Amino acid sequence: MTSLRAAFWSIVGMSVLVFSVPAWASNDSPTDLLRGAINRARAVLENPTHQGKEHYQQRIAKVKETLISLFDSEEIAKRTLGIYWKDRTEAERKEFVQIFTALVEKTYANSLDRYRKDFEVLFDQERIEGDFAEVDSRIVDPVLQKTFSLNYHLHRLKDKWLVYDVVIENVSLVRNYRNQFHRILGKKSYADLVASIRTKIQQLDTAPQTGTGL
Amino acid sequence: MIVQLLFALGLTLLSSGFTVSTATAQLASADSMAEPTSDPLEGVNQPVFQFNLKVDEYVLHPIATGYNAIMPDAAQRGVNRFFRNLAVVERFANNLFQGEFVDAGQEVGRFLVNTTLGGVGFVDVADPLLGWKENHEDFGQTLGVYGVGTGPYLVIPFYGPSTVRDTVGMVADGAMNPMSYFLSTIQILAVRAGTTTTRVINYRSMNLTLFEDADRYAVDLYGATQDVYLQRRAKQIEE
Repeated sequence: MTSLRAAFWSIVGMSVLVFSVPAWASNDSPTDLLRGAINRARAVLENPTHQGKEHYQQRIAKVKETLISLFDSEEIAKRTLGIYWKDRTEAERKEFVQIFTALVEKTYANSLDRYRKDFEVLFDQERIEGDFAEVDSRIVDPVLQKTFSLNYHLHRLKDKWLVYDVVIENVSLVRNYRNQFHRILGKKSYADLVASIRTKIQQLDTAPQTGTGL
Repeated sequence: MIVQLLFALGLTLLSSGFTVSTATAQLASADSMAEPTSDPLEGVNQPVFQFNLKVDEYVLHPIATGYNAIMPDAAQRGVNRFFRNLAVVERFANNLFQGEFVDAGQEVGRFLVNTTLGGVGFVDVADPLLGWKENHEDFGQTLGVYGVGTGPYLVIPFYGPSTVRDTVGMVADGAMNPMSYFLSTIQILAVRAGTTTTRVINYRSMNLTLFEDADRYAVDLYGATQDVYLQRRAKQIEE
């Protein structure tokens, strides 16, 4: 039954692996964008030439390349800092976006290898209001007969739809990070928060990678 | 393979009733600048949280690992369903309190069907056969529905995250347990200790990497855990 948890975390990884890199211009709807990128990421993960531990880095790099255009990394980082963002200098903001992006990438990269090809991805509804959109989706694990809700929050920036939050099983990742960061900033300095994130990144760098692919 | 995948996804999208619409609902665009979660009891909560982590690390996780090794996955799921089936009174009453009469009726139906045809609750036959899904409602949610505020966040020893309101609700739900009517207090405590231990070990064995995954992801594990609990509870009450 540990596979249930594994399934959940692989879905988390699938959804939020890359909060980085610029977006492409497109007239596609938010759902079309998400569906297209997720399908391409799944194809990479299922590609026989990318299987095995020896291809881990290659596999993850390919998935990142596939998903990179979906996320607005600066907006996500800004929202996790919340009220503390305005106090940061331009240099600090740039640094924060960079280390937060690295944190998310490293956190979820390993989880991606728990992905199974029999997962079904269902898109249920899309809501658009001005320059904001929400896309509801579900991931169905047919083996465990479990469904995980996965909702994407997007905003339109210069005619591009970009994800600024992912809500997994009713938990917003932005809000969750924000609660962690605000707790730290409530007691310690901004430099301490940066140090904590850097330490976490180092821990993740040295953590064993267990995935072998499909 | 890609074609097959696309085809499969296409079919599932069609069968899921995929729709695209422009909504009138307020989209959560500006929630990101919200104030931090208030935690006036953190001075007590933090040590209890650390204590619970140690209990998990040194007691619960090793036992659950052994249990997982000898207990097949299907049996673990069966044990989980067995305990959930026993909590029917709590779900029935709270569905009723919240005016969810159909759901309350389904809870009784589920209990009867699963207890008889489902081998005292080890198998859920009511859902696949009759489409009767479990409608989880507890007294903490009932209080929330009637406008009672959550009160401060509270970490309970051996139990984990809660709020003052949900803790009150938990006590009320416990009082609804049928054992309360037939056994003495000492007997209830003994039986509860046994069933709770089994239930918790079974649950933990089904989620062996729970804290490892959370710890991997969290910069501040206490804050991450607190937020997951509060976000999910808020959604449960909203629904």
